[in-house]
Formats: sequence, structure tokens, C-alpha cells
Amino acid sequence: MLESTPKSQKPQTKALPDGTTIDDLIDLDMREVQLRVMADKDIYDLEMEKIFSKTWILLGHESEIPNEADFMIRDMGTDQVIVTRGKGDEVNVLLNVCPHRGMRVCTAEAGNKRTHKCIYHGWAFKTNGDFIGSPVAKEEMHGNLRPKSELGLKKAKVELYGGLIFANFDTDGQTFEDYLGDMKWYYDMLFCRTDRGLEALGPPQRFIIDANWKTASEQAAADGYHTITLHQWLGDFAGFNEGDIEASMMGVEVTSKTGHAMRCQPVANKFKMLAAGFADGSLSIEEKLELLPPPGVTKEMLSQLKTHLDDDQLALLVDQPPQVGGMFPNILVAFIYAPQPDGTILGLTSLHTYTPRGPDKLEFTNWIFAEKDAPEELKNKIRKVTTGLLGTSGMIEQDDSDTWPHMTRNAKGPMGREFTLKYQAINSLPRPKDWAGPAEAYDGFTKDDTQWNWWLRWYELMTAE
Amino acid sequence: MTAHTPTSQSVENTEKRVFFGTDLYNKITETLYEEAMLLDELRLEEWAEFLATDLIYKAPLRLSVQRAEQYKSIVHSMNHFDEDYSSLMGRIARLTQTQSAWAEDPPSRTRHFVSNILVWETDKPNEFAVKSNGLLTRNRFEEDRMQVISYVRNDILREVDDKLKLAKREIVFDMAVLGTQNLSIFL
Ligand code: FES
Ligand SMILES: [Fe+2]
Repeated sequence: MLESTPKSQKPQTKALPDGTTIDDLIDLDMREVQLRVMADKDIYDLEMEKIFSKTWILLGHESEIPNEADFMIRDMGTDQVIVTRGKGDEVNVLLNVCPHRGMRVCTAEAGNKRTHKCIYHGWAFKTNGDFIGSPVAKEEMHGNLRPKSELGLKKAKVELYGGLIFANFDTDGQTFEDYLGDMKWYYDMLFCRTDRGLEALGPPQRFIIDANWKTASEQAAADGYHTITLHQWLGDFAGFNEGDIEASMMGVEVTSKTGHAMRCQPVANKFKMLAAGFADGSLSIEEKLELLPPPGVTKEMLSQLKTHLDDDQLALLVDQPPQVGGMFPNILVAFIYAPQPDGTILGLTSLHTYTPRGPDKLEFTNWIFAEKDAPEELKNKIRKVTTGLLGTSGMIEQDDSDTWPHMTRNAKGPMGREFTLKYQAINSLPRPKDWAGPAEAYDGFTKDDTQWNWWLRWYELMTAE
Repeated sequence: MTAHTPTSQSVENTEKRVFFGTDLYNKITETLYEEAMLLDELRLEEWAEFLATDLIYKAPLRLSVQRAEQYKSIVHSMNHFDEDYSSLMGRIARLTQTQSAWAEDPPSRTRHFVSNILVWETDKPNEFAVKSNGLLTRNRFEEDRMQVISYVRNDILREVDDKLKLAKREIVFDMAVLGTQNLSIFL
């Protein structure tokens, strides 16, 4: 279990308007969080300031804006940003607020523009946000109180990781390296494992759920347990895990102070016909890769894995790859095996963000990925099967998206809001023997530790000065 | 460039039009009304009989792009629905045969409104291109508001043994960001 600073040593944190402090909302010893956090406007406002303005936010993938001057509109918390492609690898993230009078500079969701001209009074900006000028130059309508260098669009720090675009407005805050922290080793196995990397197969699905962003996000921090009940049909009906969903609860969950989490599920538990060879050491890594490539990888890419991953990563990737989990604050990562009616096993690769749209509203954004080098036919298959299981119409996730609004609604009742979310299923097993990866590693049946670590990160940011 | 509306059919193409009031038009219209009734009454197995076994059933994404780029406003590379006959049958089976399809249990109360039906003949004598506007109202639990979803459908209906079957459907939504928590219902 991660250590948390005992309450008594923490400075009492800023109070909400009704006098409640963050410490009142979360019981660090009992591992409980007041349900009130799932609908409260004041807490939400504080989150926008303390979390979404401070931490790294996933905005998309560079393959969505492949050409110079391509752009797309995305959200960082409740701030809207323009993501633009400059020359080569340059990607800019700019606040979509005109420095003149606050109009949206970009009103279209995507396109290609070398100059972004505000439709209100015509101030113009480069793809990197620099101010170009205002109409009627001789009248100097932008004034001369501020130099032009101060009249550009507000820029965020940008980091490309495996082509994923992350941004942060807190320019002297946490580095991206610190953001990924010791969990990077695991994410590299998914996002940085092949020569040409992943591509988004198209723009993301976007839809609205009447639920607080945290109902979905805390689940993404590796709530394996809910699968048994909420997604019971996966075993009973769809033949996932050969019908034995409970067995897929076993594995190793990795997590850290970053609040990120991944569930590494052994292939031998998932597919019994492979169990012997995978578990007893009779198969080499190469043979295992041939038998069951990790989700999204084709046999042709196997040699590439070796150049990008170290031996320990490779060994884990074949035996128990990280399959589902999340990244703090609002990302779900899904690289899962989906058994097909014809007996084959297809790997699905998808990311979601749960963007806050108010205390009781979130936008579910769903990207579907494939390795750039995957054959077109495989990409189409991945797109189709992923659409069938995840996202808007996804048969798995339609049940999740129907659950979260109920939690949000319950968080509003005078009785309900005082109730607590409980994370008291604590892993008591020792770290698995010979576990080569970094971070905390919880062995055995899926427990609440990863999600609790997510809340500890939430607490840390919410109480930061 | 002209702004594309989501159809390849031309209004001027009167030669191929199947006009309002003709027997065929009436039959197609009634079929779409019957389909709406089956969906609203949760008679999914009966709805399945209306589906051709080579059905392609898709709902492309929408993007809010400028008028000059309207051809990009319907995104075919990514969909809200990306189905064929057998995957749709899987969905129907999940909803009707499992005890844990929670997204529709309790079921949504829906009303499918179908209007503005236009029909064209195609190159195949027994297949017709049918365009219709759709309005879905959806209510769950004790919600005090209706979800309202509007769309246009571009269908191919095929007449086999005097019965019309759905051979192709494209559902084009009017929302770029869909205002519903999921599509566990059919359109
Ligand atoms: S608000 Fe943008 S130019 Fe005036
Ligand atoms: Fe789920």
C-alpha cells in the first residue's frame, strides 16, 4: 500500500464555501471518499483549478493532424484549445480564446489553416499562436500599450509521447517525465513498441453522459471487479476469458503515486488452451509471440518489439501484458484481447478521455488505434470490433455509461451525499516474486488499491498550495 | 464547392423517383412505419426478420467543419455504429437473451418518428434507395426530460418475395457530439 501523510501532519486545506475542507471529504485511514464529490459544484470548480489547470491532459494523437497547418479543437478541462500542426513534428496547443475580447478564434472543429483569423474583429494568429496583426493597420486597433508579443494566443506546454498529444498550462509545474513517473515502463510497452507506432484510425467518437467526470475516471484506475457483475454477459455470452470472467480477475495490478494504473493479466489464465506452454516455461518468448501476439501487434512486427523494449518488458508483454487501466486524471487505456466468432483472437486498442463538462456532465471521447504498419484489412477489423464493444454503441461500455449517472444523482441527496465510496478491499499479498517492472505491483485478485492510489493523487493535487 | 447533403440522390432525377402516393411508395412507407413500431415495442427478434443477411449498418461520425469543407462533415473512417448482419444479431441476442444487458434493463422508452420519405429506383430492379428523416425520443428511469436525437437515414431496401428487407443503412446524426449516454438502441 502506498503511504499517505497522516491527516494530523497535513496543513488544513482551503475550505469550500460551506466550510468543508478536502480533508473532510476523504478519510485516509478508512479509505473512504464522500459521495458528495461526485456532484458538488464547489468541488468541481476547485478541480478545474487544482487538477485540470495543473496536470497533463491528453488531447489526441498526432496522426489526427498529419499535415502542416492542420488543426483540431479539443478540451482541457473546461478550457477549449486549438491543437495545431506546425512544421514537421511541431504541435501547438493554444487556448481558443481571442486575446482581444474573448471570442473563440476557431469555430470549426477541425480543418487546415495557416492563419487563424478571429471572425469578430479580425485579429490574426499563426499556427503557433503568435499575433500577426489586426485589420486596418494604420489605425493600430490593437493599441500600443502592449507589444505584439503579448497579444498572441495563450500557449500550453506540449509533449508528444508515442504520438499522443499531452498538454499542460502550468508551464513551470510537473514535467511530463514526472507525470508518467515509474509507470512509463508499462506504457512504453503499449505506445512505444514499434518503429512507426500507433495511428488514430479516425477522429474520436464524442458523446455526453450525465455524470461527474470522476465516476468514469476512478473506474479507469483499474476497477477490474465490476466486470464480474456489470459485464457478466462477457463471460456468459460472449465467451470472454473462455467464459470464466472471475479467473480474469487474477493477475498483477501496477500503480504508483502518479495515480496511473494498469492491470497485467496472464495469458495463461485467459486462454486455457495456451496455459501449459505459457505458464510452465516450455515455450520461448518467440514461440509465445507467435502463438498469441499482444493486442494490436501482428506477427510481422515481432522483431520490432525487440528493438524498442528491453528483455523484461518483452517477457511481460508476452506473458501478461498490461491490458486495461488508466492514466490520471481522466484517461482509460484498453489494449484487450477480443475472442472472435471464428475462433481467432483480435486485439483491440483504444483510449478514452472523460472530459468534465460540469459537475454532473462528462464528455466521453473514444479514439480507436492500430499500429501504423498494420495491414488495412486488420485496421478495418479492429475499427469494427472495437466500435462494437467500446464507446458510443459499444456493448461493454453502454452498461458503464448507464451506471455513472445514477452515482452522480445519488451524490445529490442530503443523505446520499454524506455516504462514502469505499476502497477497503486491500491487497495483502507480497509483491510478486521476480517482478521485473517498477512501481507498486499488487498480486492476485483485483483489489481496490489502484483506485485508492488514484484518489491519493486527487487528494494531493486538491490540497496542494 | 457545393455543400453536400448526405445523399448521392438528386432531387432533379425525376426519372428514377418513386413518387409519393404510388403503390411502391406506400409500401415502403408502411414498412418503415412498421419497423419503427417494432423497435418502439422492443420486438427486436421481429425487427431482425426485416434485416437482410448481407446488411451493412453504419452511423458515421459528424464533424463541425466550415461550409467550404462540408464534404468532411460526415466522417466515414470512424462510426458510432459499424455493423453487419451477424454483429447486429449479436447485439439483439445480448439484449434479449442475457440477464445483464443493463444499458437497456430497464429498457429505454423510445419513439421513432419517420418522415420526409423519398424513394428512388436503383440499378437493381428490386432495390430502392430510401431517404428518411428520423427523430428519436428516448426516456429512461424517471428522467424528467426526453433525450431527442435527429438524423437522416440513407437506406437500400430490397424486395424479396414481395417482402421488403433492409440491405443497407447509413444513419447520419445531426449532432457532432452526441447528446446521449450510449447507443444501446437502434435507429
Ligand atoms: S474578439 Fe477576436 S478580434 Fe475581437
Ligand atoms: Fe466497464
